[in-house]
Amino acid sequence: MASGFVEFLIRRALGFIAVLLVLSMMIFALARVVPGDPARMAMGPAASAEQVQAMREQMGLDDPIVEQYVRFLRGAVQGDFGISLISGRPVTDEILRLLPATLELVIVTLLLMIVLGVPLGVLAARYRNGWADTLLRIVSMIGVTMPAFLVAILLQLFAAYYLSDWPLLGRIHQDFRSFEGPTGFYIVDGLLMGRLDIVGSALQHLAFPALALALAGIGQIMRLTRSAMIENLRRDHVQTLRSFGVPDRIVTFRYLFKLSSIAPLTIMGLEFASLIGNAFVVEMVFSWGGFASHGLESIMQNDLNAIMAVVMVSGLFFVVANLVIDILIGVIDPRIRLKEGH
Amino acid sequence: MALLDICDLNVAFTSYGQRTHVLRDVSLKIGEGQRVALIGETGSGKSVTSKAVLNTLPRNAAVEGGEMFWRGRDLLQTPDRQREALKGIEMSVVMQDPLSSFNPVFTIGRHLGDVLFWADRRSGKRRGRAERRAHIYDVLRKVQLADPERVFASYPAELSGGMRQRVLIALALMNRPAMLIADEPGTALDVTTQDEILRLLNDLVAQEGLSLLMITHNLGVVRMTADYVYVMCKGEIVEHGPLRRIFEDPQTDYCRELIEAIPPLYGARVRNQPVSTEAPLVKLEGVSKTFTRRHFLRPSEQVHAVRNVSLEIPRGEILGLAGESGSGKTTVARMVMGMMGASEGRISVDGVALADQRDGRIDRRLAQIVYQNPGTSLNPKRTVAQTLEVPLRFASNEPKARGRRIEELLERVDLPPHFAARFPHELSGGQKQRVAIARALAAEPRLIVLDEPTSALDMSVQKRVIALLEELRSELGLTYLFISHDLSLMRNFCSHIAIMLRGEIVERGTPAEVFEDQQHPYTRALISAVPVITDEEEARKPKVTQQERQKFLVSSAA
Repeated sequence: MASGFVEFLIRRALGFIAVLLVLSMMIFALARVVPGDPARMAMGPAASAEQVQAMREQMGLDDPIVEQYVRFLRGAVQGDFGISLISGRPVTDEILRLLPATLELVIVTLLLMIVLGVPLGVLAARYRNGWADTLLRIVSMIGVTMPAFLVAILLQLFAAYYLSDWPLLGRIHQDFRSFEGPTGFYIVDGLLMGRLDIVGSALQHLAFPALALALAGIGQIMRLTRSAMIENLRRDHVQTLRSFGVPDRIVTFRYLFKLSSIAPLTIMGLEFASLIGNAFVVEMVFSWGGFASHGLESIMQNDLNAIMAVVMVSGLFFVVANLVIDILIGVIDPRIRLKEGH
Repeated sequence: MALLDICDLNVAFTSYGQRTHVLRDVSLKIGEGQRVALIGETGSGKSVTSKAVLNTLPRNAAVEGGEMFWRGRDLLQTPDRQREALKGIEMSVVMQDPLSSFNPVFTIGRHLGDVLFWADRRSGKRRGRAERRAHIYDVLRKVQLADPERVFASYPAELSGGMRQRVLIALALMNRPAMLIADEPGTALDVTTQDEILRLLNDLVAQEGLSLLMITHNLGVVRMTADYVYVMCKGEIVEHGPLRRIFEDPQTDYCRELIEAIPPLYGARVRNQPVSTEAPLVKLEGVSKTFTRRHFLRPSEQVHAVRNVSLEIPRGEILGLAGESGSGKTTVARMVMGMMGASEGRISVDGVALADQRDGRIDRRLAQIVYQNPGTSLNPKRTVAQTLEVPLRFASNEPKARGRRIEELLERVDLPPHFAARFPHELSGGQKQRVAIARALAAEPRLIVLDEPTSALDMSVQKRVIALLEELRSELGLTYLFISHDLSLMRNFCSHIAIMLRGEIVERGTPAEVFEDQQHPYTRALISAVPVITDEEEARKPKVTQQERQKFLVSSAA
């Protein structure tokens, strides 16, 4: 791989670190500005003023703000966000416990977006201006415009009315609640241990939350794939291959498809941000018990340490996802790899 | 029996319910081993004819009549499946634009391999992967690509335009077709590279005994590559005959105009522009432009786009700045306009140094620019009047006077006044360029920078635009800086010529001096590569050896 691309990736990575730093400053400043004394919150309304003061000192709240920030940052780098003001347990433990649930949901959602969005886009482009295309465009428009929580509630109502046995809440059937796997991902653990009943139940529970989260992305990706395909269809190189008798399906599904996958891939990085945002609400609707709904609870309860941790971890995921996408695009598109290479 | 025999072919296009008859009773014959050229201007139906033969017409096109015999069999009565079997095997096409004819995210080898694989499938041949690859290497060597392994593994962006054009020829030759259709090969390339490509094509056609259908608008190319010529105009063949007859004794006015529109390189028809003795309007002293490419981990690179260029343009003169792509001629033009600062040296216009001007920009009333492609330099959402109004706002403050001025400007560029209400898409290429010229004139400048103003136009249109530019210069006392790569046009249009190579001026003088007695070998190589239309011109072109030609080929290096 050309040195220019490695350089590009390093520059991007440094840029992402800067993004995380700025994010940490903003969330830290916000946490210190909001009304309410964290020490009082931690001790509860019954504690005396002396007890609160002792807590303040223990938490270092009277130190200069810069010192506090440096301490926060040092802790954050090591994965230590302090203790929850509500439960009194380390914030990080709580997040690690809940993270697999959310990751499972988000990854399945992303897969759904790609597996449904891209082929539908190709289909729409192939039969552009036909009835299938028109239908898909209308559906995708609805998908893009409808808020995820509304879709979530509608799906839940649908399940409640028409699918009597379909689970409405939670991640897994209650019979398996006590099941503990090595990774915390029910699907992965179930496969590892050969428990297909667990995998089935997990998938059944996942279907509607993931669909609710994915709908906007599917619409978005479908539209982008479609327009990229149609735009590239007019290019000379399509004509070249056709003039030499390479079959249409090869030209469309191999040549056009790879070239046209760059645009939707680029948008995935941005889509990821709204995905995390939407997960906050969708997890709530489906009582998912994940990291995102934990974030929402923390906000409700003003648990500042937990809020900061949730924001930083979300930021980290966003940044890593975008870096992965940059690498993927580089792998697909040699022009990016070769840029400045020689 | 002719290899290809087209009789009274009629093709019509339907778009938005409107039917346009694009080919009318086209008849054309190509014998075995014959080299035939099909010439005509943009929109005359040349490419449609070739697509009809190959069966790659767009979906909205319909063949409405006629016959098309391939080795005696009527292709129009042949099912599509069997016609597919001919593609790339019996007849092949050399695509026009080497830069856009490959999918950028696949390697060259993948393209060639897939084409060969499907051609084998259709002709019932059986070949293994390794065998196919060996065959592809052979063909790449045949088109003089020295390192076929590297070319095979490269992505299109890693190859120069000339190399990609060679690969396109290789693509066409892959299955030893009986006929090659070449659609304007090399027109997108520099003149020296184009020359190289045409030589290669000629050699290959002779070696392999192929029939050639050369589609082009460039008569010089026709002279090099064909023996028999068909002339097309608005979907009809208006004249055909042996090359010599067509060139020396054209029977139709259209054909005569086509030939006369070509600016001569040598001979009696060449015109010399007067040389001005007035003080210089534009002065460049030791001007350089260096771009710095910053890298993150490695030291930054310096790209010297222009090196130590000194120039003077006397008032009322046309200075031609010639050179191939990447020679720095457009950078010079931008610096003269003050759109870009010089890294070193001094540029002054009318005695005022650009560096002393506010923002380093030139006074709008002093200099204006006309760009190469009027299709993209005019805003498609604005009418002609709206386009012209922008510079007029700087020139005069009275809104009422503007309407009159727009009419005046349109008259100046020979457009009727009602064109003011038209949008660019309602105009032809030549008309659009006239509007662009009118826009440049609006601010009443003294200097106009012309950046390849006619290279996107047909020859006959070019001739009229050039005549207009000459007329404007003498009537308004304008000075031109003319940027171009078209040497035969410059020979007739410029008072002085400067030739640039890799950012430096390597040759300068009046056209008469430069074309009769070249000082620099690059100038010789450049002039000798210009396709000409008469034997006299060919004879008077400087002679260049193979080594000298290779030395300055921009493409073979990459």
